[in-house]
This record gives sequence, structure tokens and C-alpha cells, in this order.
Amino acid sequence: MLQEPVRMEPDENLIERTRQGELTAFEQLVERHRNIVFRVAARIVGPDDAEDVSQDAFLRAFHRLDQYRGTAPFRTWLLQITQNTALNRLAWARRRPTEAASESRDAADRDPVRQPAAALEDRERQERLELKLRILRPEYRSLLVLRDLEGLSYNEIADVLDMPIGSVKGRLHRARGELIELLRQNTYDWELPA
Amino acid sequence: MNAGDSSAEHLTPAERSLAQHLELLRASPPIGAPGLVPRVIRGVRWQRAIREPLLLVGAVAAALQEGLGLLFGRPEDRS
Repeated sequence: MLQEPVRMEPDENLIERTRQGELTAFEQLVERHRNIVFRVAARIVGPDDAEDVSQDAFLRAFHRLDQYRGTAPFRTWLLQITQNTALNRLAWARRRPTEAASESRDAADRDPVRQPAAALEDRERQERLELKLRILRPEYRSLLVLRDLEGLSYNEIADVLDMPIGSVKGRLHRARGELIELLRQNTYDWELPA
Repeated sequence: MNAGDSSAEHLTPAERSLAQHLELLRASPPIGAPGLVPRVIRGVRWQRAIREPLLLVGAVAAALQEGLGLLFGRPEDRS
């Protein structure tokens, strides 16, 4: 007997039901998009503030749902709110992550007895890279996160950042260049060709 | 560099190398706490509960201010 595939209710239906007061519909929207919202928030503000930023973004989205016109996918609209919330948080906090803070947080995971050398090296490179990414100016960081880590299309990024595609491409090129320069200044050898 | 329309993208050698390094971050994305959804819904519930009363209080205060301004404002304001 053929089993009928489970169909996901489209975002638009859930949005409409939320507007009519069904909180369970909004709960489904949060469940559906929470991973990408959290990832983008964490990459922009860092892991410590990511959950608060994600929560704020969803709450803002809920209260502004009447402003969502449906011209772009809901995910794009939500990421725009997430990105703005994250940048606002950075502007408000005006603090930078320190190597010391990061090291203390992950000290337990770096026990050399428990982790093989290759995994340790990967972990080390990953942490250094994350720190360098967070040193980038926030606008560039957002771009790199959306494009190079989340794989959004140029069209989608243009909608999220509310700028022309040409500007997205130009800024992305500059953002990558800035990150490359930051890595080259590092004592760690990233093997980046000229 | 990544999914979507990346095939048409022209990358410098350094950018290609950067893409390989960033693969390390893509492979280990930050994972959100499972409590996020209930936290959001709790927030929505209480904010929705206080939103209407707050809007009402705001509207009443604005009306009162306008009314008092009309009654006791400077003569030139009343003309």
C-alpha cells in the first residue's frame, strides 16, 4: 500500500492562521525556521547572545506580521529581521569577543586525551576563523554569513539587506578581501595565495 | 562559493582558498538550544496579553492630554 507523503503546510497558510490568532501556527513557523535564524544570529553576535537575538527576532516578526506583504519568501523577511536585530545588539553592546573568553568556554572540549590530533587542529582552526569573522565589520560579517556560510542566493541576500544585487556582489568581494587580510595578519599559516 | 548561483561566480585563488577554510565552519554550524521554541511562544503570550491594555492606556493618556490642553492651554492654542 502506498503511503501518502506528509505535506508541509506552506508558510503563507501558517502566517494567515497566525494573523487570525492561532498561536500554534506561529509555533510551527518558529520550529521550521529556528535553526537558520539561530545560525545566522550566532555567526553575527556570537554563541553567547545568539539565543536572545533569535528570540527577539521571532518576537519582532510576530508583532510585525501584518507588515509582511508576501513579495519575498517568509524566510527572507525573517532573516532581514534577524540580521537587523543582531546588528542592533552589536551596536548596543559595543563589545568584542576575546580569545580568552572563547578559550575558557571550550577548554573542556580541548582535552588532548579525548581528542585526536587532527580533530584538535580542526577545532583550533575553526575557533580562530570564527574569531576573525567576528572582528570583521558587522555589515561585512552579515554578508559572508548569508552567502558563504548559509548559501543564500544573491537575490535573496539583496532582499534581506535591502540593496541592489550589484552592491551585494561588490560588498561581498570587499568582505572576503578584508577577511583574507585579517587571516594573513595572523601568525597561523592559512596558506592564502596572493 | 557555495550553493545557488555560485557556479557563475569568479573567485580569485585567495578567495577559493578562503572558501575551503570556511567549509570548516559550514560543516559545524552552531546548534540552538531546544528551549528556543517554548521561550518564543511564552514571550508571544505575555507580550500579547499586555499589548492591548498598554495600547489602550496610551490612547487614553493621549486623549486626556489633548483634552486638558484644550481646556487649560494657553489662549492662543485655543483659538
